[in-house]
Amino acid sequence: MKKLRQEFADTMLEVGLADPRLVVMVGDISHGILQPYAKACPGRYFNVGICEPTIVNMAAGIAKTGLIPVVHTIAPFIIERAYEQIKLDFGYQQLGLNLISVGSAFDYAQLGCSHHCYTDISLMSHFKKAHIFFPGSPVELNVLFKKVYNNGCINYFRLPEKPHEVVFSPEEITVNKAIKVLEGEDLTIVAIGPQLRTALDAAQLLKNRDIFAEVLYYPVIKPFDAETVLRSVMKTRKVLVIEEASAHDGLFNSVLRTVKQVSGVEYSQIAVEDFIHQYGTYEELCEDLGFSAQGILQAVKRDFSFESPLKKMVSLGSLA
Amino acid sequence: MDQNRLNRELRRKIVEMIYRSKEGHIPSSFSIVDIIQYLYAHVLRFDPKRPKWDERDYFILSKGHGGAALYVVLHKFGFLTDAEMLSYSLKGSILGGHPDATKVPGAEASTGSLGHGFPTSAGVALGLKIQGKPNRVYALLGDGECNEGTIWETALVASKQSLGNLTAIIDFNGSAAQILPVDPLADKWRSFGWDVQEIDGHSEEEMKAAFATPITGKPKAIIAHTIKGKGVSFIEGHGKWHHKIPNTEELDLIFKELA
Repeated sequence: MKKLRQEFADTMLEVGLADPRLVVMVGDISHGILQPYAKACPGRYFNVGICEPTIVNMAAGIAKTGLIPVVHTIAPFIIERAYEQIKLDFGYQQLGLNLISVGSAFDYAQLGCSHHCYTDISLMSHFKKAHIFFPGSPVELNVLFKKVYNNGCINYFRLPEKPHEVVFSPEEITVNKAIKVLEGEDLTIVAIGPQLRTALDAAQLLKNRDIFAEVLYYPVIKPFDAETVLRSVMKTRKVLVIEEASAHDGLFNSVLRTVKQVSGVEYSQIAVEDFIHQYGTYEELCEDLGFSAQGILQAVKRDFSFESPLKKMVSLGSLA
Repeated sequence: MDQNRLNRELRRKIVEMIYRSKEGHIPSSFSIVDIIQYLYAHVLRFDPKRPKWDERDYFILSKGHGGAALYVVLHKFGFLTDAEMLSYSLKGSILGGHPDATKVPGAEASTGSLGHGFPTSAGVALGLKIQGKPNRVYALLGDGECNEGTIWETALVASKQSLGNLTAIIDFNGSAAQILPVDPLADKWRSFGWDVQEIDGHSEEEMKAAFATPITGKPKAIIAHTIKGKGVSFIEGHGKWHHKIPNTEELDLIFKELA
């Protein structure tokens, strides 16, 4: 499957050719792959420099002249370092911006904590007019960007290093609806980004134990599709959220706020609690932090009770 | 105009607003009011009936705490009504301690957090340049604001992008020297690739000369030497008056000096 970052470059070329208002500004990353856009759209591509707050702030000025800015760099430097610029110059002034990050969560595992960013989803959720996207495959990015890039809102696209490899058709992808990837009745798993693959792997293991998980995939985190998770949880009364992001104030928060009206629900969350202090590959850190099929099984065993049928209790006893 | 009487009416209005509302920065506003008034009177293209007129020039007050000076000038030139001026900082007003572009006709950016307005100005200049438009962009910065890193990031970027349509006016009233000096300021801007001129920021003659110089391919920095609190002897300088509200006796004294 094509890398998300390459799809970003391809989508910029496609949209830039169609819309002369699109202006792409980068903080010295993806310079090579954006050359087709730069050549096709002369004067509308800027490798501005290593000065992220200024890039975001200048994008506000560009937006004030009627153009549509796209700002792209690594997640901690765009969302955390330039957060005041996003807050005041776009959030407060209600200007349109497209932020495209790579290196969110611990994608850059081997580079260490300076290049991690767990808080981006939480931080961006504070603006009423912000949209948060976590496209886990190229088609999701292409479809969603084209739907929203000129909507006058803050559109944050968090591009994962590794796609989830699940193939969706363009028709399945909308701004307002999550995707029910697997139907089940015993447990709801809500997944974002590459963790869709993990959720599906775990669902297969659970199925072997006669537990049928419903897997919901949210490429659009905000606006949050409350209806889909609500319908599912009313059926299963159990919900596990797996999100490669801060455990505090992210997708789990949206699920809790939605499901609070349903009585007798059990909850579980796999997320990033605090700084990750060690190196290793992305896969190794996933394993350590519970972002694995086995991690989901352990969480299911720890946080959920299956009172009937009896065979499920027996099965859970042998989990993980 | 008698240089000593320069813009006394505007200064009186600034004091009235701040005294009435018990909020505002008198010395910072006195430092820049002559510059803003000159820009609106002689430099900027604008239409107060159409604040978003496509052919307007952009003025951005990056040192937003001097907002009262901007408001009195916007009022003088027809952007703001008497009633709006009287409502300054009250609930429901469009005018607060710092300019708000979502509310104030003529305010091009919401400023207050130092180091934001200037990069926004450079973005406006770049956006205009991309579209081949002739509009000019003027940003007014404080010298204390020049402690902020984004000022120098923007100075680098504007120079690299040859933003000849951008002018930065630095209100050099010595605020930075109280804590983190920025001298030699003109040399700094010059070394970042800007055309630089130094003027007395309270002199119409010198402003006239500075703003009349031809546009080049480089951005221009005008270092305006000013006096914080200029116009009232006991407010001039640095210290307790930065954010102080006058009492009635002090108000009388201020008005006598500005008579």
